Amino acid sequence: MSSFTRWIGLLTDPKTFDSYMRYVEQVEPRIGAFIQFDPHLGLRGSSPEGLLRGVPFAVKDILAVKGFRLTCGSRILEGFVSPYTATVVEKLQRAGAVVVGKTNMDEFGMGSSTDTSFYKQTCNPWDPERVAGGSSGGSAAAVASGMVPFALGSDTGGSVRQPAAFCGIYGLKPTYGVVSRYGLVAYASSLDVVGVCAASVEMTEEIFALIRGKDERDQTSLEEAGTSGVEGFHEKNSNKIVRKIGFVSGNLGLDSGVERAYQKTQEVLRSLGYEVQPIELSMLEYYAPVYYTIATAEASANLARYTGIRYGYRPEYAENPEELVRKARSEGFGEEVKLRILLGTFVLRSGFQDQYYQRAQRIRTAIRKDFDRVFQEVDVILSPVFPTQAFKHGSEGLDPFQQKVADRFTTAANLAGIPALSFPAGLEDGLPVGFQLMAPVFGEELLFQVARRFAEAVPPLKAPFNTSPWS
Amino acid sequence: MDLQELRITASLAYLDLEEEEFEKLQSAVEQLLQYFSKMMEVDIEGLPPTTHALVRENRTRPDQVLPFTDTDSLLENAPETEDRFIVIPNIL
Repeated sequence: MSSFTRWIGLLTDPKTFDSYMRYVEQVEPRIGAFIQFDPHLGLRGSSPEGLLRGVPFAVKDILAVKGFRLTCGSRILEGFVSPYTATVVEKLQRAGAVVVGKTNMDEFGMGSSTDTSFYKQTCNPWDPERVAGGSSGGSAAAVASGMVPFALGSDTGGSVRQPAAFCGIYGLKPTYGVVSRYGLVAYASSLDVVGVCAASVEMTEEIFALIRGKDERDQTSLEEAGTSGVEGFHEKNSNKIVRKIGFVSGNLGLDSGVERAYQKTQEVLRSLGYEVQPIELSMLEYYAPVYYTIATAEASANLARYTGIRYGYRPEYAENPEELVRKARSEGFGEEVKLRILLGTFVLRSGFQDQYYQRAQRIRTAIRKDFDRVFQEVDVILSPVFPTQAFKHGSEGLDPFQQKVADRFTTAANLAGIPALSFPAGLEDGLPVGFQLMAPVFGEELLFQVARRFAEAVPPLKAPFNTSPWS
Repeated sequence: MDLQELRITASLAYLDLEEEEFEKLQSAVEQLLQYFSKMMEVDIEGLPPTTHALVRENRTRPDQVLPFTDTDSLLENAPETEDRFIVIPNIL
């Protein structure tokens, strides 16, 4: 039975369509999850038949959906309308699911709060004074507030898992190359993956099964990705039963609420019969520096395409083409994006490459080897997602540097290319805490297996803003 | 990084920054480069670079034309057009 039962047909029946619209009108002004919301437009792109017919879903505004705008949360893409649709979205549309809108995000995926968006602020459905996380904050908030059962996001260094943890939902970062990136705007190409935010493990699993698969239009998609479909993903781990879970130990610098929940989560897993043992990730303190070196370097190259000439923001006046490009970029990019472009340009400059970019790439190999070693000892790894729970908007929260240092737990899976699933693990001080499970490449099934059993013991909770009758 | 290096870097990235922006970004860049310097502690002898997580070799595809017919939708995204040309300032 589909885990979407209550949502099926919602947008294809005029009566339920109206009640859906009324629900969103009531919730969205207080959450701000969407940059564009237009289910009528979405309906035109979807099959009337299929497993997910009439099921609403949201798409992070970094993925192309024909006819919808595609801004990446940036002024430089203001008004851009996508001429085509991303493969992942197409697959879901063929299954009958309907894009209801494009979700808010940190500009080009650069941030952990969604507050670097040029367009609006997104609020956490558990407490609107707090951020929904980022960069896929709009997608996570749309799910947690019951406006959609699932949403697509992208995860370059934790951008699906961290907002999922902040909002009390599930967030999957698949193995690199298993889900097509055709139609995903590039941030850091060796790290970017399309991910899933969803309200339950079963939904996450079902959507992953539908969107995975090799795509001829994506040169980095892998043979091992198989073909999409709820059955037929013959990964090497499919018959494996998880027995040993290694939890990341040591002085992790967690806030007290996260620390408490981390202990409790280990106990619950033990009570479920897993052998839970401490492991040490010897490269942990290098994840964030290595990640930011590689990500900014790749971003500086990928974002070179925004010139204001063929599309996007154009300054009012420029003397010549070069000035046009300079002005478009200087006026079109926000501060965080400029910072990362500057850093990336610097670490790639001749004379500095060996010291930064190439060194980071070589340490990345050491990080991958370290994971290979750990996966000889345990089947999956349990780790924090973020050292804090959802923080407050503005200066009361974490500053941009603290946010980057805090990415130390999530960036590992992107650097190693392995799958990771963030799952809700109850509340502390009235706010959700999430942890992540990591598995060897193509081991998504192992993550679902453990998360399913954990959810039986600690079921996910609904946010106070989620009064949706369908979720 | 001194201000001069930052100016060169900004120019290479086609970013024209205001003085205030330069000052603000300089301290942020400094802070991060300081953080990156932690990588100097690692012995990288004998470690090959990882360029992509799982893709180990260059991959090619057949050199075939895949037609895209909706060219109007591309032109509609241009900030300024004349007939089917994109307008830019004069090149002198």
